[in-house]
Amino acid sequence: MIVPARQFGTLIGLLALCAILWILTPHFMTVSNLLNVAEQTSINAIVAVGMTFVILSGGIDLSVGSIVALSGVVLGTSLQAGHSLAVALPLSLAVGVLCGLANGALVSWGGLPPFIVTLGTMSIARGAALLFTEGRPVSGFDPSFRVLATGRVGFIPAPVIETTVVYAAAHFVLSRTTFGRYVYAIGGNEEATRLSGVPIRFHKTMIYGVSGLMSALAAVILTARLNSAQPIAGMMYELDAIAATVIGGTSLMGGDGSLAGTLVGALIMGVLRNGLNLLGVSSFLQQIVIGAVIVVAVLIDTVLKRKNST
Amino acid sequence: MRGIRKAFPGVVALDGVDLTLEAGAVHMLLGENGAGKSTLMKILSGAYTKDAGDIRINGRAVEIRSPRDALALGIRVIYQELNLVPHLSVAENIFLGAAPVRWGGFVDWPELYDRTSRLLADLGMSLDPRALVSRLGLAQRQMVEIAKALSGSAFAKASADKSAFARASADTSGVAGRSASVLVMDEPTSSLTSREVTQLFALIQRLAARGVAIVYITHRLDEVFRIGHQITVMRDGRVVATRPIQEVTVPELVRMMANRDLADHFPKIRVERGAELLRVENVGGGPLSGISFSLHAGEVLGIAGLLGAGRTELARVVAGADRCQEGRLLVQGREVRFREPEDAIAHGIGLLPEDRKAQGLVPGLTVARNIALPHGRRLARLGILSRQCETAMADPIAADLRVKATPTQPVRLLSGGNQQKVVLGKWLAGDVRIFIFDEPTRGVDVGAKVEIYNLMNRLTARGAGIIMISSELPELLGMSDRILVMHRGRLQTEIAAADATEERVLSAALGLAHSTSSGQAI
Repeated sequence: MIVPARQFGTLIGLLALCAILWILTPHFMTVSNLLNVAEQTSINAIVAVGMTFVILSGGIDLSVGSIVALSGVVLGTSLQAGHSLAVALPLSLAVGVLCGLANGALVSWGGLPPFIVTLGTMSIARGAALLFTEGRPVSGFDPSFRVLATGRVGFIPAPVIETTVVYAAAHFVLSRTTFGRYVYAIGGNEEATRLSGVPIRFHKTMIYGVSGLMSALAAVILTARLNSAQPIAGMMYELDAIAATVIGGTSLMGGDGSLAGTLVGALIMGVLRNGLNLLGVSSFLQQIVIGAVIVVAVLIDTVLKRKNST
Repeated sequence: MRGIRKAFPGVVALDGVDLTLEAGAVHMLLGENGAGKSTLMKILSGAYTKDAGDIRINGRAVEIRSPRDALALGIRVIYQELNLVPHLSVAENIFLGAAPVRWGGFVDWPELYDRTSRLLADLGMSLDPRALVSRLGLAQRQMVEIAKALSGSAFAKASADKSAFARASADTSGVAGRSASVLVMDEPTSSLTSREVTQLFALIQRLAARGVAIVYITHRLDEVFRIGHQITVMRDGRVVATRPIQEVTVPELVRMMANRDLADHFPKIRVERGAELLRVENVGGGPLSGISFSLHAGEVLGIAGLLGAGRTELARVVAGADRCQEGRLLVQGREVRFREPEDAIAHGIGLLPEDRKAQGLVPGLTVARNIALPHGRRLARLGILSRQCETAMADPIAADLRVKATPTQPVRLLSGGNQQKVVLGKWLAGDVRIFIFDEPTRGVDVGAKVEIYNLMNRLTARGAGIIMISSELPELLGMSDRILVMHRGRLQTEIAAADATEERVLSAALGLAHSTSSGQAI
């Protein structure tokens, strides 16, 4: 698929942001710092893949951060119980997928609004993570597991490679499979898609399952990087993922957007955080700047769209 | 209203319409769907602005540019869908946004209920001002709507002030004289029981007696003679006639509504009728009841009826979009149960829905992807679509239908006719043999219409059966082999194409048995 002009706009925004930071601080445009940004962005970028699927289909998933925490503690606990990664990894991924499928089933068969369902799951999964660990972090893992986050291939950090693989696979699914086509179709016009004979409920359930899977993958990298699985991990991840998706030009109304945009959106968020840190901007002020960037980015997008449609 | 004209892109909705309303008279407005009644009333109420013509109230020329202007002039419209807030009380709804306040912002509840009681009593409505609207029946809600419509008018102000009311009721023309009060009702009885209708009519007569000018839009001829004083029939954006009620008869009315030049040419090709494809037995539920018919290969079965007769509901049941609650469906002799549209499609049934924007197309997807949407499973291998498979399937179809667009254009950029062809195209690739076309040519230009008719000929020639729902009588008469006429959820009658005339179809759709020639009163 050809990248629509709008995503070039987002890309130009990213490059402009990098250029400004290059001028303002000598530390930004170094290989080690850029790799650092890419690595730090990877977790939000992966969660945002799932969010993009859900938002493209016209839904929303507020439970991703809590699913990161729950999958993480399941992974950490089973590793510490002596299970091998071959057991612990599928187990934690399954937990994420099941949470997502539960969301999807309640949305499609239960007929509930996605906002409400995933708000509930957000609280339930968080509570389950806290209950499961009695509120304590699970720390200290074998280096053979931690290599998933700390390893490098050549000079490229493992999380960057993992993120690239996830994006490539997800992009293939979205652009070259019937499932991907239905994601856009359901978001574009659910009733028309249903009348075309597409099993709407099944596919919507799967879409939330994908989001759960992405949260679980992010949990693996996060746990390996921190060398600790924390029941309070992933707080506010849903907002970062929504921000990355929306900055990347995906319409909250569904049916329109792309993963390329989301990746650029996630990088904008990452570069901005990193740059503000390098500039020594206080974390309080950072929140204000990031919030303003989200609003301005979407404002520009909306204005451009309005122009295009007339 | 004089010489009112309104054009939309592609159609002239109103072409020099004159309408005169008298205070204290109930003016019946009749016409087929699309005759221009609603457009005319929307101009009166300020929802649309007219292109030409003028409107005078009490002899004074007025400009109505917005609903606010219309309200200020005392014009009130009650639409078919009611606009009440169900969780508020009768009184709150009636004075929504205009409740009496005291102490700078607090609702004066005693005053609110008091005013409401007086207004309701004055209108002869026995309603509790404190009752929640959600608890009321439809007729009662309608009354609340009427009370609300009248609450801000001079009429209501007069009744709120008792002494003024005494004067007003002593001199009915006085009220209308000071501030024109026009009440438009669009098919108000379509969902009422006969007792509720009686209540509503009593109210309308009381209002008329107070000097309110009432416009009453209806499809029901019995109502015309029960409460009408004057009658205007519209057709194709023009007024056919305006007459006092005493001077018209039922058959005359039907003729005025139907009579049109059969100038349109329909390229109908008749095909020998083949085996039975679909049988519908005693289908009911929702608005439908006891519907039975069959569809054969090679025929076009037209379905006529007024808005709300249940035609679309029937189409949706047959196409699996809604569950079949009563009765059964048989496809090629075998009973089928559809849970979802996919089940119907698997049995070779394709639906062209009534509202193509809301139900037929995914606007952001390309022409090719829309056409290929129902065929994903067949096109894909292990869920994977090869790069060209969608365009390979869709291109010949789009070319065949002469869709004027490139296959990679999103369908939202296409014209109405081309969009409709894309929706049709969705069902041409598969094994669909039973086509259900719900208003196939609505909002479609003439050229595309003819192409759609030609396509129907080709489909029947290759053994398909088509159910065509249409509100355009010439099209039904021109393209159908048989016509079923629906009225209030039932099959009223079946007419063979050879015997069909517009008058016959319309009489049946209006619920009159074959009585047009006998001229009997209803």
